Amino acid sequence: MDLLIVKNDFKRNKIINFTLLLFMIFSACLAIMSIIMGVQTYTSISDFYEQAEPPHFLQMHKGEIDQEKLNKFMSNYQGLNYWQLQTMINIYGENLTIVGNETYDISDLRLDISLVKQNEDKDLLLDAQHNKIILNKGQIGIPVLLKNMYNMEVGDKVVLSSDGISKEFTIKEFVLDSQMNSPMTSSTRILLSDEEFEDLKGKIGEQEYLIEAYFTDTNEASSFQSAYESANLPINGPAITYGMIFLLSALTDIVMVFVLLLVSFLLIAISFICVKFTINAALEEEIYEIGTMKAIGLSFIDIRNIYLTKYRILAIIGVVIGYILAILFSGIFSNHISETFGGTSLSLLSMILSLLVGLLVYILIIHYCKKMLKNMKNITVVDALVNGNGFNKNYRKVKDGLYKSKLPINWALGAHEVFNNFRSYFIIFAVVLIAVIMILIPINLMNTMEAPEFVTYMGSSLEDILIEVESGENLENNYIKAKEVLEKDEDIENYYEYSRVKVQTTNVEGQLTNINIDKGNYSGKDLQYLRGMAPEEKNHIALSYSNAEKVGKDVGDKIMLSFNNKKLEFEIFGIYQDVTDGGYTAKSIYDFPGASPEKYTFSVNLKDNSNVEDKADELSQLIGTGVSVEPMEEFLNQTLGGVVNQLKTIVLVISIISGFMAILITILFLKLRLAQDQSEIAILKAVGFTYQDISLQFMIKIGIISTMGILAGVIISNLLGGNIVNFALSISGLGIKKVQLINNLLVNYIVCPVLLLLLILFVTKFMMKSISKYDITSMINE
Amino acid sequence: MSPILQIKNLSKSFGESQVLNDINLEVNKGEFIAIMGQSGSGKSTLLYSISGMDRPSSGHVLFNGKDISKLDDEKISEIRLKNMGFIFQHSYLLKNLSIRDNIILPGFKANDLPREDVIKSGDALMEKTGISNVANHDIKKISGGQLQRAAICRALINKPDILFGDEPTGSLNSSTTKEIMDIINNINSEGTTVIIVSHDSKVAARADRVIFLKDGDIHDEFELGKYKGNKIDKPIREKRLYQWLDKQGF
Repeated sequence: MDLLIVKNDFKRNKIINFTLLLFMIFSACLAIMSIIMGVQTYTSISDFYEQAEPPHFLQMHKGEIDQEKLNKFMSNYQGLNYWQLQTMINIYGENLTIVGNETYDISDLRLDISLVKQNEDKDLLLDAQHNKIILNKGQIGIPVLLKNMYNMEVGDKVVLSSDGISKEFTIKEFVLDSQMNSPMTSSTRILLSDEEFEDLKGKIGEQEYLIEAYFTDTNEASSFQSAYESANLPINGPAITYGMIFLLSALTDIVMVFVLLLVSFLLIAISFICVKFTINAALEEEIYEIGTMKAIGLSFIDIRNIYLTKYRILAIIGVVIGYILAILFSGIFSNHISETFGGTSLSLLSMILSLLVGLLVYILIIHYCKKMLKNMKNITVVDALVNGNGFNKNYRKVKDGLYKSKLPINWALGAHEVFNNFRSYFIIFAVVLIAVIMILIPINLMNTMEAPEFVTYMGSSLEDILIEVESGENLENNYIKAKEVLEKDEDIENYYEYSRVKVQTTNVEGQLTNINIDKGNYSGKDLQYLRGMAPEEKNHIALSYSNAEKVGKDVGDKIMLSFNNKKLEFEIFGIYQDVTDGGYTAKSIYDFPGASPEKYTFSVNLKDNSNVEDKADELSQLIGTGVSVEPMEEFLNQTLGGVVNQLKTIVLVISIISGFMAILITILFLKLRLAQDQSEIAILKAVGFTYQDISLQFMIKIGIISTMGILAGVIISNLLGGNIVNFALSISGLGIKKVQLINNLLVNYIVCPVLLLLLILFVTKFMMKSISKYDITSMINE
Repeated sequence: MSPILQIKNLSKSFGESQVLNDINLEVNKGEFIAIMGQSGSGKSTLLYSISGMDRPSSGHVLFNGKDISKLDDEKISEIRLKNMGFIFQHSYLLKNLSIRDNIILPGFKANDLPREDVIKSGDALMEKTGISNVANHDIKKISGGQLQRAAICRALINKPDILFGDEPTGSLNSSTTKEIMDIINNINSEGTTVIIVSHDSKVAARADRVIFLKDGDIHDEFELGKYKGNKIDKPIREKRLYQWLDKQGF
């Protein structure tokens, strides 16, 4: 009996039932897809890290290495499980020519390029299936990162030309590198066969070492770092701990998954609002049927079961279709994860969890239905059949006052309806609001990361060209040469020079630790300070946020620094955020006499009429190899380019989803609204309103409610956007704690709102065409 | 008297079902006509076809000499707004507007008078029909009789030439029916043409002329003359009508 009624109901109320089914599919699909994405990302990354085993502590070093001293320290250190020393051959982009569809070199690559051979057991370079790559002579393994930057393909030739040696290799594999998977790590490793690596070692490039240590507990890394630094071992290069390696390598994808999960969560919320709205509307439509069933003596439970059977069937169909779609679509969305981290075939865990989530969606839908069907209990036959009160027993007084309005009548009617009956239009308000937030927050984040000022959040000052003279055998010679070139160049307005020295202090646990200080007269001047300000006196020091945490000090505290057998007390004058060098930096205008510089940096400002890129190329030529000369914009692009590009894709995808969602929900809302408002439309027609008037009234109603949603969305994005992003940044441990989102006023306040509004109005206008087919007499007689 | 409405060879069908067959009828200015007939005889269809609410399948409807049967939506809407008034069996007021707002709505839409004058006119109509005390009320909070009076006020706000009623007292009790019909007779006596469809012979007895429809044709007509509303006239008219209707098999 129930099934027969349900079958007839499906035939009769096609629009409402189809709408409801669509929202159920959407909810189930999104919820299941989010869980698949989350689990796949997690399992993919964790499996990758389990197989590759990146070090818990890594010290890079350029120059001579005392193997015996290192062996002794490592064997004496308690808690160390394993350690290894990897040798790398550093070369430049111009040494590598790629011959594929096109022939090009990669001299524009900002990352340091190192040639390596495969390690024995740990810190392995893997293929897409997470297997250790073994290469034969003539083969080369290129990082996935470079594959994506240059569109390389397996089989392309790579010609290495350096120091009079020229060798040709064929790309055999694209390498997954657990340590250097992101442009933010500033280095990248290219894999050669053992034989060819040994053959080239000492003949080309400059050697650099990776001293890698493993512990039972990864937290041991910071204590190890302190002990290592105090033992006078090779430290000519950055030191990185496991947490930072993981974060830098996975950042782009974690950001993407984070944004996708956030968006999915918002979309699921919308879908559920729609399910609730549609069921409510369907039941309101059914009020006469419900009244009739009550009148012929069916109990509340009987009637509820009829509707529940219908919603159960719809929910089962919706969840099953949603599940199938989620499995199909998750492959597309996890493409980048599978490229970067490999091996993302659907795991058993994600299958089981997605089934559970599907079940949860079903339970939630049925719970909603039961809750709403409960309202039936209190409806009397008279309420349903005679008074036409509907389910809403809470009487709301209609506001009198149209007669006071000075607006044109269609505007007055539209506005009156929306403001007095806001609840009926809430769904459009909510959808538009969420769509605006979904679009604006990623756009603002992208704008912020693309803005030139962002560099000041990263611990660098805002200049035209950045010249870095890295540590190595020729450090002093390169520095002198660079300075000479800068002094002579007439296009240069001014430049600031900084040199990096290493000093020692005690960390929060009282252990000795190293701090890198960039010293120079202008040091720290242009940065964004979280607290305090740039050093003004020689006894002032500014610490990066991560360093301040490490030493457990704040602005105004004193800090004792040891260098060159001297101890000197400094006052912490400012704390700034920094992402360079793992976030552990400091700034001072004191000269630290006797401390030997490890790196020199020049930040150069050009005269107004100079072309920054041309000048950077010219300076690079003049100063020669071993010194990186880059326009600041290029530095930013290469450092953050990956994240920004990823964000651009996300913004585009989200904008399309939001627009599609706004269209879909406006269409479905209007379908339901027009069905519900048939009698009102007929009345208006009967008293002399034209179809054009009625269409205009709907446009005004939808326009007003959408504008309210847009305004609320813009306000919330502006108020909360920064907080959401800052929260995400602070838990990321990147060294950036606070970012003032940079709004693009044109996009935020004009382009995005106007486009969204026009899109919704266009859809409304299109939908209103159907009313001209309405027959007033049958609508009145219904 | 010149005709306000001329119906020429009007036919209406829904699919294969022929509802009205070649109807010819003239309605004079100031006349009060009642259309009667069995259920399914085509009374309401005729009313909707001649009032521009629906289009005839063939034939012509001339309103004040102008054929309105083929006008576009904008033009026919304007005629309905400014020259015609409608009352239905149910009041069909907009549920999100108060009584006063419902009444003044067509006046504001017509925009022929300043809004203050429309409001005054609405207040005067409410006074006349005895619903001034519920002017600011919600339509869910007043009685069926009051709602129907409000519907009459709305129909009259633009001072129409003709008032159409489709069973205007169909859902009311006998005392309210009498009150509503008194109002309609008053409106008619002030010069407004009235055409109503009714099952109720007491209601039809208030008309000058009664048209009896049978199977989509005008079967017969009956002249009652002007209703005077006094205690002698009323029973005589009703008796005469009963006898005539009896002959029609009603």
